[in-house]
Formats: sequence, structure tokens, C-alpha cells
Amino acid sequence: MTEPKKIKKPRGKARVVTGKCVACGARCQSACPVDGVEMSEAGEPLILVEKCIGCVKCVKACPAGALEMFYTPEELEILAALANKGEEELDEEELARRRLVDSYRGVWVFIEQNSGEAARVSWELTGVGRELANSLGVELTAIIIGEKIGHLADEAFSYGADCACLIDDRVFSQYRTEPFLDAMCYLIGKYKPEVVLMGATGMGRDLAGAVATRVKTGLTADCTGLGIDEKRNLMQTRPAFGGNIMATIMCDRFRPQMATVRPHVMPMPERRPGATGKVVTESYTISESSIFTRVLEVITDKSGKDKVDVAGAEFIVSGGRGMMAKENFGMLEELADLLGGVVGGSRSAVDAGWLPQDRQVGQTGKTVRPKIYIACGISGAIQHLVGMQDSDVIIAINRDREAPIFEVATYGIVGDLFEVVPALTNRLRELKEA
Amino acid sequence: MQQTLFAGILVASLATFVFSCYRRLALVSVGAGEYRFDHPMTRLKEVLVYALGQKRVMKRPFGINHGVIFWAFLVLTLANAEFLISGVFPNLNFTLLPPPLHGTLSLLFELSSLATMAAVSLAFLRRIFNPPYEEARTFEAFFILSMIAGLMAAYFGVHAAEIAMGEASPSFSAPVSSLLATLLGHTPLAGQLPVIKAVSWWVHAVLLLSFMNFLPYSKHMHILTAIPNVFLRSLGKVNSQPREEFAEGRTFGASTVDRLSWKDLLDSFSCTECGRCQNSCPAAATGKQLNPRMLIHAIKESLLGNGSSLPSSADAVAASSAASLIGKGEGTVSEAALWSCTSCGSCMESCPVFIEHLPKVVKLRRHLVEMEARFPEELLNLFENMEQRSNPWGMAPSERSKWSSQLDLEPFEAGKTEYLLFVGCSGAFDARNKQVTVALTKVLDAAGVSYGILGKDEKCCGESVRRLGNEYLFETMANENVNQFRSRGVTKVITQCPHCFNTLKNDYRQYGLELEVIHHTEFIKGLIGRGSLKVKGGEDLGRVVFHDSCYLGRHNEVYEPPREVIREVTGAAVHELPRNKENGFCCGAGGGRMWLEEHEGTAINRSRVKEALDQKPATICVSCPFCMTMFEDGIKEFTGVTTQVKDIAEVVAQNL
Amino acid sequence: MIVVACIKQVPDTTQVQIDPVTNTLVREGIPFIINPYDTHALEETLRLKDSHGFKAVALSMGPPNAEAALRKALALGVDRSILLSDRVFGGADTLSTSNVISAAIRRLMDEDEIGIVFCGKQTIDGDTAQVGPGIAVRLGFSQLTLVDRIERIDTGARTITVRRKLEGRYEIVEARLPAMITVVRELNRPRYPTVPMRLASAKAEVERWSNEELKLDVNSVGLKGSPTWVSRIFSPQRAQGEILGDGMNDPVAAALMLVDRLVEGDLLAV
Ligand SMILES: Cc1cc2nc3c(=O)[nH]c(=O)nc-3n(C[C@H](O)[C@H](O)[C@H](O)COP(=O)(O)OP(=O)(O)OC[C@H]3O[C@@H](n4cnc5c(N)ncnc54)[C@H](O)[C@@H]3O)c2cc1C
Ligand SMILES: Cc1cc2nc3c(=O)[nH]c(=O)nc-3n(C[C@H](O)[C@H](O)[C@H](O)COP(=O)(O)OP(=O)(O)OC[C@H]3O[C@@H](n4cnc5c(N)ncnc54)[C@H](O)[C@@H]3O)c2cc1C
Ligand code: SF4
Ligand code: SF4
Ligand code: SF4
Ligand code: SF4
Repeated sequence: MTEPKKIKKPRGKARVVTGKCVACGARCQSACPVDGVEMSEAGEPLILVEKCIGCVKCVKACPAGALEMFYTPEELEILAALANKGEEELDEEELARRRLVDSYRGVWVFIEQNSGEAARVSWELTGVGRELANSLGVELTAIIIGEKIGHLADEAFSYGADCACLIDDRVFSQYRTEPFLDAMCYLIGKYKPEVVLMGATGMGRDLAGAVATRVKTGLTADCTGLGIDEKRNLMQTRPAFGGNIMATIMCDRFRPQMATVRPHVMPMPERRPGATGKVVTESYTISESSIFTRVLEVITDKSGKDKVDVAGAEFIVSGGRGMMAKENFGMLEELADLLGGVVGGSRSAVDAGWLPQDRQVGQTGKTVRPKIYIACGISGAIQHLVGMQDSDVIIAINRDREAPIFEVATYGIVGDLFEVVPALTNRLRELKEA
Repeated sequence: MQQTLFAGILVASLATFVFSCYRRLALVSVGAGEYRFDHPMTRLKEVLVYALGQKRVMKRPFGINHGVIFWAFLVLTLANAEFLISGVFPNLNFTLLPPPLHGTLSLLFELSSLATMAAVSLAFLRRIFNPPYEEARTFEAFFILSMIAGLMAAYFGVHAAEIAMGEASPSFSAPVSSLLATLLGHTPLAGQLPVIKAVSWWVHAVLLLSFMNFLPYSKHMHILTAIPNVFLRSLGKVNSQPREEFAEGRTFGASTVDRLSWKDLLDSFSCTECGRCQNSCPAAATGKQLNPRMLIHAIKESLLGNGSSLPSSADAVAASSAASLIGKGEGTVSEAALWSCTSCGSCMESCPVFIEHLPKVVKLRRHLVEMEARFPEELLNLFENMEQRSNPWGMAPSERSKWSSQLDLEPFEAGKTEYLLFVGCSGAFDARNKQVTVALTKVLDAAGVSYGILGKDEKCCGESVRRLGNEYLFETMANENVNQFRSRGVTKVITQCPHCFNTLKNDYRQYGLELEVIHHTEFIKGLIGRGSLKVKGGEDLGRVVFHDSCYLGRHNEVYEPPREVIREVTGAAVHELPRNKENGFCCGAGGGRMWLEEHEGTAINRSRVKEALDQKPATICVSCPFCMTMFEDGIKEFTGVTTQVKDIAEVVAQNL
Repeated sequence: MIVVACIKQVPDTTQVQIDPVTNTLVREGIPFIINPYDTHALEETLRLKDSHGFKAVALSMGPPNAEAALRKALALGVDRSILLSDRVFGGADTLSTSNVISAAIRRLMDEDEIGIVFCGKQTIDGDTAQVGPGIAVRLGFSQLTLVDRIERIDTGARTITVRRKLEGRYEIVEARLPAMITVVRELNRPRYPTVPMRLASAKAEVERWSNEELKLDVNSVGLKGSPTWVSRIFSPQRAQGEILGDGMNDPVAAALMLVDRLVEGDLLAV
């Protein structure tokens, strides 16, 4: 048995570092083997010192570094003495897991497409996938599922894929969860990739969540940063808490490591036309009669733009009293069209009869959360601010530097909107036409 | 023969009259209990001043007219009593009195009758050519006026005929009748004098008794109820609403007459339909569905319509069987009407018989919010924001102290700081009103006042949610604030917002918290008066008009301090707006209207801003952050205007 | 038939702030609220209860204090509120969360047929939008995400038709019942509780199911059943407000700068 001489490694006790806990959902409590962690009403831990056996599990589980071990001075001495002793042993279970993990190889990107036209995010993924594949020293495969999508393979190669895996069948002509889920799971089961990336779009998130659940692996949502650590694991960085914090998520004990990636964040890779790669055509068919979901109709913004509710719009160009007259709103329409958005306004603009009531943004109007909100000639009274301050990016164009709108603006231009807006429109049109 | 006939008629009329009155007034008892008999002496005094003295009545045009009719009525009550008694017992009359007394009485009666005739004719003409409100030209109104005139004519008819017949002698104590008698002598009717007397007498008798019996069924019921109503009025200002007890199984607010209080119901019988409330109501004036007169009328209609089928219900909790007061048609008020009340109190201030409209509006709103969760959609956000973040806009509570981040302000600490400066949500979050708050701190600092703020810990006082009828939420907010004030040892508070002022001062009292609450205008006036604050004075701000905030003015009677402060600063008296002080016109933000879109009619704030701009002021002075928003907002609609809107605190800060 | 609303109690993240000095979350005094999207999920279950007479059940997995959210659901009118709470459920990622919630729904299925499970589009804390699909897959329900309108429910034919709101387009989709639907805010306007309902809900029972009821393998729930783990949390670099150029004198240059910023930030979908 144990040598009588051997000094027992002091284990210390866990304690809370004040101010760091983010109330992540009691990871620490869940990790503790001896029920040594109690949670407060505010969701923060309380270590029951008499119960704590110093296993360090809670410390490891905490994402916020809100727990640490502490030792008495004597314990610290012993620790120092032990510092240069041997490595920890691995148990059988852990070894099996590592073997399993090692059996997965390759980086996949899922090419999202609609009627044979790929979504831009697919190529952004290909770009970042390329880098990951390089770091790992593996192939980058583009997974293309749809109907008549053969041509996308070449495009994938031109953006950096080594390989394209195609499933081309009638049932995949339109995206529906069930057939795509089945097909993806079939491919993953067959080829065992270590990383699977999809766009964090409506469709990508719909599919990824389903796939990860079926293959019982981890999925990181809406990543804005991806990297590989020294143990070949994917480090996935993403915003959470409404963008108030960033978290790095790991999925080191399971494979594949799945992530959805936020569109417009990863740079578009350079296109190298004529690049080639390996094409794998998989035949995976599902009979239409076994699918119970049907897409009856697709309505695009263009066909129903006037019906688009400002509350749900992604780009909004708003005008206020600074617009001076109803006719001037044509200018905003034009800008909104270029951005693919809609026109809204302050109550003053609505009261003046320049806009219909349902376009009013603010306290007694609509609450909007677009990606970009452009406020033209709006002073930013609190009644207006409360309706739009949660927008991702706020752009203010106003000639009064003291206008409160600038307090919430991401970008502001102090100037005459009648000069700035046309300049903006021209520049955007140039870009679009280029 | 005549006596017996008359005695029979008289007894029958009196019996029906008493029965009618009983039937109507008994309905009042279906209302919930309310104690209104405290301070009886004060109440009597109020009756003397306001009922007998007609103080309120006389405040409006044609008020004197009513006064004349009223007092004459009082005098003629004696005459009529004599008439009725002597009708049965002809020998029992005033001639039994010593002649000088009899003479005086007779003269009084003659003059009163003449005055009444004149006043009634004037009222008649007014109703034709310039009625208080359009719908005032009712048949009933003209009918009643004619009856009164007829009564007077008959009175003279009887007496003139008597004199002409020589049954009485012409005298100075009956000038009109004597004159008439003489005239009568020169007409062909001279031979018919007994007939004239008899006809006049009967006309008088029939008119008098029918008038009496018509009373309970007309707006003239007020002749009977107005005086008691004044006696039972709310002593003090109606600037708060009673608490509700939140226990399971109870109902909240009121949607039927039996959920209103008996006083609410009595109010409905006391309404004279004079229309003063509606004429001063900002909602009615700008084309909203709300009409305070109609509100009271609807309650009466509803009570008459189904009150008799209701059990008297002091505290009944079972579902009421009465028809809802809220809806469309007879005996109802529309939801839109209820939501358009700004709680300005103008209706109550102008009502000659002290009817209390606002508590009824709030009770009905309470029903909508608390029992049915039915309210304009904008309010959903407001209520959630108030509940979750304790401010109307749903701003993060941590942003509450942002306005002071550049200032070096003390946190409130009992013992170290004397006053708590209660900033209020507008003062803390609204860009324009933040400037006022900063100006106010400058003024306080200049005067060396010891004050502190609660910073991020300050919470919304809950004023709007209470007026909007969300008493449940108000209760939570009030408790939080009251507990915080208690635990921090707050005793003296300066507020910048009249709404906070009123709530801290008058609403929280119901929670057992008596604070010394001072609005900044009063406080600054005190500082200047004590010499603690030196203002440069005499600065020419041009013409300055002052807009009374309803919650500072009408609801709390702080009229002079802001005016005095302006006078100190400018050296000149403020230029009064046409509607000022008690008659001030709301900016449109009270009663929770600050959080609602104004869909109907024209905007209240625009109408008030126009009234102010018509005076061609250089500065419009306000004393309330809501008024500030409403004026700033409204003034933008007028192009080419250079008038500035300023809070009193800003005006003072500029002149330190 | 039962309709289920999955609701999560979350910290009101719009009130979360980063301490500029310590760079940590300032959470003091931040209240917990029902995830805003879930209030719409809840509203929809209540509407179906009102219109179709379905039984409305609210489910939440969380710590004991999540009972507050479920009580609010009772005040709004659900027939039953069930809290899934157990030490072993703590620290869950989306995979183990959907495991626990599906197990609970399965348990409900023993009592009555399930028609629809409503989830929010995503939460405002975890922000993943993954729990809904997880539930659908585990239960084999039709998966309809991002629904902004329910067009039709045919209980006879057991189908549902909805409108999904996707980037730049809408899709009208028909699917078989039972279904799992994730909802966006435009779907409906949540109701406000009446006071009698609030008072009654204060006393009503919130059922509590622990793993004793659900009998899941402890290695498939909570932290242990979570493939992902959060290794680090840090503050993002916040874009501070920036005034571009001199718009007064050179508006064109300022406009160009703005477009550059937008292109750099890849904010334009052109
Ligand atoms: C109960 C209530 C509810 C309300 N609800 C809402 C609401 O839901 N939504 C809402 O928006 N408002 C609401 N308001 C109104 C709000 O208070 C403000 O009055 C309104 O938002 C102001 O609109 P604005 O910014 O367009 O006009 P202004 O405040 O007049 O601002 C115009 C701005 O345009 C600028 N400008 C003028 N000319 C030019 C030019 N040539 N180039 C560049 N800039 C120029 C000026 O510098 C100024 O800052 C509400 C008010 C109340 C009282
Ligand atoms: C900073 C941070 C980052 C994270 N990143 C990831 C990650 O990338 N991948 C991952 O798998 N996990 C992640 N998690 C864990 C994740 O937050 C939890 O698993 C959580 O229990 C569910 O995920 P969600 O909040 O994102 O819910 P979502 O999937 O966004 O929720 C969608 C809907 O599901 C329902 N729902 C979700 N949770 C519950 C519940 N507990 N009770 C009832 N209904 C519920 C609601 O209707 C909700 O609207 C992260 C956690 C933190 C703190
Ligand atoms: S160190 Fe281990 S035993 Fe102690 S509290 Fe943390 S998890 Fe529990
Ligand atoms: S694991 Fe860390 S962040 Fe999560 S509750 Fe425990 S101490 Fe807080
Ligand atoms: S309180 Fe003001 S707004 Fe309300 S009814 Fe009376 S006068 Fe009209
Ligand atoms: S409520 Fe008062 S003010 Fe209004 S009509 Fe009746 S008596 Fe006149």
C-alpha cells in the first residue's frame, strides 16, 4: 500500500473570488462531487468549507475564473516541495475517449444555398475553414446538399476547399430540416470529420442544432472567432449575454466539434478561379412520402416590401423633423433600397404627415433592433431613443453636435443631411455596381 | 271645497315627491362604503361658503344669475310654504305676523320674484344664443325655466288680483303687484278679477307641485342634493386615490355602479349639467371622447337603469349583475374616453357642487387594468419597464446616475446631508430635463444647501402607474420607495417634478410616511427670501409667461412661489396666460398620458403652446419635466418661433 | 391536447455592464426576467388555449429561484407550471438542456397528447438558439424555427402551417403535428396579468420535477452531460461612439469614411 513516508498532497479548499462570478448556471455546484457548493439567490456560489475536499472540480468548471484554491502556509510549503514530482495518471476511460477523438479527422464546411445560389456566408466559412485545416494539417471539405448543385463544387474549390462532397436529389431542392438532418448525419457517421462549420443563419442554426443533437456532440453558436489550441482542439469564441461578454467554448471530449459562425464577421477569402479539388458524389435518397414538411410558398422582401414591418427590419433609415418636407423622404427610400431596408421615422415626422403612423419608432411607436439604424435629422429625444437604442449599429446624421442622438451613435456625422445622405447613397451605389 | 280639493292634491303630491326622492336616493346605497362625516364643523363652514355663499358658482359667467335664482329660491321657499299652508288653512298666513315683518317679507318676496323672473329670462336667452355647451339646449332646461317663470308670474297674478279687488291694499311692500294691479284696472280684464285670482292661484299651485314632483327626475335634483354634496365633499384636494386591499377573492377598481362608492353615486345625482367641467377639460376641449359631464351623467343613467335590481352591497364580492359602465351607448363611458383623462383636476376645480370626477376615472381604469388587463398597447411596455427596471423607459437602472457623472454630488446620508434631492425619471434620463437637474444642483450649491441624491438606488415614484389604474404595481413601487426612505432616514425631500412631489407628499402618506416634500420652485423662493441665494436680478428675459403644472398648481395650490422667483430674477411680474392658476390648462402629460399616443382630436400640448405663443413671449417658463417635454415637443410644430422653454431652475441658474 | 411553452429565467442582460476597471460583469442588483422571446412563446400557448381549448403547460429547467418565472406564467393563465430542478442539471449546455426538457415532455406525453412545444427563438444570455432544435430531434417532432405567424392548425389532419421569418424572405411551411416551434417577437403581443390571476398564482403550486422523476443517466445531464464547456469569459472590445470627419465642411469625405467603416466591419449585406 502507500509508503508511510510519502507526504500526502495537500488539497486545500475552494473559495470564491468576489466580483467575478457571472452566474453561469451553477456549473460549480454541478461539478462538486460532495455537494460542497450552495448557490445564492443571485446565482453565485457559496463554498461549504467543511464539506469541500479540495478536488478542484469547481475551479475547473468555472468559466469566469470566479473560484480558486487556497492553502494554508504549511500546505503551500508542502506543495512547493512536491512541485517537481511526477505526472498524473490517465484512467482507462479517458484513454478510450482519446482514441475515439483521434479517430475523427478533417474540417467540413456546410455550403448553404438556395436554388443553386450559395449564401455568402458559405464562402466566409470556407475561408476560415481553410485556415483551421491548415493548422490541423487536414483536408477542407465543402458539403453541398441540394438539387442541381454540381457547379458549386468548383466555386468551393475556388474559395479554398480541397474536396467537395455532393448530394444531389429532388428531395433537397428546398431546405427542410428532416431530409437535410438525415443526410448530414449519414455523412458525419460515414466520414467522421473533426470540425463541422455552418453559417449562423436561420437555416444554418436550424440544421446545426438538429444535427448536433442527433450525433450527440457539442455545438457552439454564432461564433465570431475560431482557432486551434495546442491539443488540436477547436477554440470557439462567441458573444453571449447580449454581446456584453465574449466566451471561449471548448468541446474537447467529443467529436465532431460543431460551430455555427456569424455571417459578415469572417473575411471573404480571395477567389481563385480555376482551382480544382476532389469531388465525392454521395447518393443519399429519402422518399418524399416519408417527409411530412412542405414549403408552400416563399415570399421575398422585394415582393412585399411595403408590408415589411419596421419592427422586424434589418436595416432602417429613419428621418425626423430635419427632413423638412415629405418629398425629401424619397432620398431616404433610395438609401434604404440600396441597403435592403425600410424607412422609419420619429414622431415629429409622423405628426407632420410625412410618414404613416406604423413607421414611427419610439416609446409610443415601434421598438426596432435592426443591424444598422441610420437616423437622419433626428435629435434623439428619449422617447425616440428607447425605440432604437438596441440596434447593433447606430449611425446619426445631424448638424447639431450637441444633439443627444450622438450619445448612442456608433458612428456620427455632424453635417447637413441634404449633403451627407446623397453622398452616402452615391458611394454605396458605386460599391454595389463595382 | 277648494281647500279640501287642494289638501288632497297637496298630500298626494307630497307623498309622490317623497316617494320619488326615496326611490332615487335609495339607489345611492348600492354604492360601496366611504366615510365622509369627519370634521363636521369644517363641513358646515364649506356649506356656508360654497353652497349658500355660491362661491364657486359665481366664478364663471352667468354665475351671478344662478346666485340670484338660488337666493331668491331660498327666500321664496318661505313664500311657497305659506302658500301651501294657507291653501289648506286659509287663515294661517303671514298676515298674522306683525305688519312690519309681514311688510318686509312681502317686499322680499316681490323683489325675489322679480329678480328670478329677470334671471330666468336671461338664462333663457343665454341658452338660446350662447349656451354653456351645445347640448345644453334641452327641452328639459327650457321647460324648467318656463315653469319657474310661470310660477313667478302666477305669484304676481294672485297678489295683483288681490290688490285690485281690494282684498289687500296697494303698498310699497308689494311694489310689483301694486303696479300690476293698477295696470290690471285699466284692462278689459278688470271685471274678471276673481277669476284671474283663482286661475293664478291654481296655476301657481299646480306649477309648484308639478315642479316639485318633476325635480327628482331631472337635473334639478341638484336642488336637493347639491347642498349635502358640498357638505360631503372631500376636504382638501383630491390629489390622491385610495389604496386597494390586495387579497384573493376581491375585485379591483369599478366597472359597475355598485363598485363605486355611495358618494360617487350621490355625485351623479348632484350634477347640475352646468358643463363647466367639460368646458375646462383639456381632453374635451381638444376633441377627445372624454367629457367629464357625460361621465357623471353616464353613472346616473347606469344607476337608474339597473340600480334598483341591485342589492345594497357595501362589501359584496360576488360578481355584480349590473350592466358595465364601460362600453358604448347609454349609461356608459368608452374606454378611449377613460384613457384620455390627463388627471389635471380642472373638472373638479370648476365644478360648483364639488363633484369628484378623477377618482371615478381612476376606479374605472383600475378595473380595465387590474381585472381585464385591457389598456392601450403602449402601456404594456410602460408597465413592464416600471416593474422590471423601475423607470418608464426601461433604461438600465445603472444609467440613472449618468447625468451626475461629471458633477461632484454627495450621496444622501441621514445626518450628513439635510435634504434628499429626488431627481425623478425625467430628470435623470431625459436629455432636456437632465439640463434642468444640473441647473438645479447649481442653484442648490450656490445657496450652500446640504443635500444628497440616491443615485442608482433611486426608483420611480410610481405616479403614472397609479393614475393609470395599475394600483397593484403602484403598491409594490410605493412600498419599495417608502422602505428605502425609511431605512435611509429621509425626512426632507426636494423634488424637481411636481408628479414626484405629489406622490411623495400625498400618495405615500397612505403608507404611513410623512415627508416634508418641497418642490424646487418653493424651495428656491425660500432660499431667495432668506437671503441664502443671491440672484443678479433685473435681467431682461423679455416677456416671460408661466405655465402652471397641474400637480403643482391645482392639485397642491402652489401658485405664487414660481411667480415670485421669476419676479426676483427678471424684476418684472410674469405675463399671465389667459388660463392660469386654478384655471390653468394642462400640458397634456398627466394621468399617464405622457406614455400614450394621442390618437383622437388635436394635440393638447399644441393647443396650450399656441395659447402661450399668442402672448408673444420670449420665454415660456415651466416647473415640471413633463410640461417641459410637452412644450418642447409642441413648440417645434410652430415654425419660425424663437421662444425658449425654460424651467424656473434654469432661469435662476443663469442669473446667479 | 397539451401545448407546452419552454421558458427560461435569464438575467436582464440589457442591464449587465462591464466594470471598466476590473473588466468583469457587474451583476449586482440585476433582476432575473423571463427570456423576452419566451414571453411570446408563452403568449402563443395561451392563445391556443383560448382558441382551441388546449391545455397550456409552462416548463423551465433552472435553479429553484426560476420558480418566479413559472409563477408569472401561472398568473398569465397556463394550467400547469413545472420546474425541472436538480443539482445534477446545473451547468448544462444545450445538448444536456434539451435532454432534460425532452424527458419532461415525454413524461407529459404519458398523460395526454402533445400538440406543440413552443420555444423562444433564442435566449438573451446563452444566445444559442439550439435548445429548440434539440428538443425537436429528441422527440421526433416537426421542427419549425423562427416562426412569426401561425397560419393554420388542423387538428383533424394533424397539420400546422406557419410562416417562418428568414434573412430577406419568408417561408410558408406546412408540417405534421406534433411540432416544436421557435418564435420571434413579431408573432404576437404578450398579455399582461390581471390582479386576481396574480394573487391566485402566488399560492398556486409550481410542480418541481427532479431527476428522481425524470430518471435520466446523470452522465447525460448537467455539466457531466455537456460536450461543450466555457473555458474563458472576457469583455468584448466595445465600439465607442465615433464622430466621422468634418461633415459640416466636407460632407462627402465624411460619407466616404462612414462607408469605409461599414465595409471594414462587414456590416453591409451588399
Ligand atoms: C407622449 C409622447 C410620446 C412620444 N413618442 C415618440 C415616439 O414614439 N417616437 C419619437 O420619435 N418621438 C416621440 N415623441 C416625441 C419626442 O419627444 C421628440 O419630440 C421627437 O422624437 C423629436 O423628433 P425629431 O428628432 O425628428 O425632431 P427634432 O427634435 O426637432 O429634431 C430635429 C433634428 O434635426 C436636425 N436637423 C435639422 N435640419 C437638419 C439638416 N439639414 N441636416 C442635419 N440635421 C438637421 C436638428 O439639429 C435636430 O436635432 C413623443 C413625445 C411625447 C410627448
Ligand atoms: C457564456 C456562455 C456561452 C455559452 N455557449 C454555449 C454554446 O456555444 N453551446 C452550447 O451548447 N451551450 C452554450 N452555453 C450553455 C447554454 O447557455 C445553456 O445550455 C442553456 O441552458 C441553454 O442554452 P441557451 O440559453 O442558449 O438557450 P437557447 O437555445 O438560445 O434557447 C432557445 C429556447 O429554448 C428554451 N430553453 C432554453 N433553455 C431553457 C431552459 N433552461 N428551460 C426551459 N426552456 C429553455 C427557451 O424557449 C428558449 O427561448 C453557454 C453558456 C454561457 C454562459
Ligand atoms: S473543490 Fe471540489 S469539493 Fe471543494 S467545493 Fe469545489 S468541487 Fe466541491
Ligand atoms: S461556475 Fe463560476 S460563474 Fe458559474 S456560478 Fe459558479 S462561480 Fe459563478
Ligand atoms: S381630470 Fe382633467 S382631463 Fe380628466 S376629466 Fe377632469 S378635466 Fe378632463
Ligand atoms: S359635474 Fe359639476 S361641473 Fe360638470 S356639469 Fe356637473 S355640476 Fe357642472
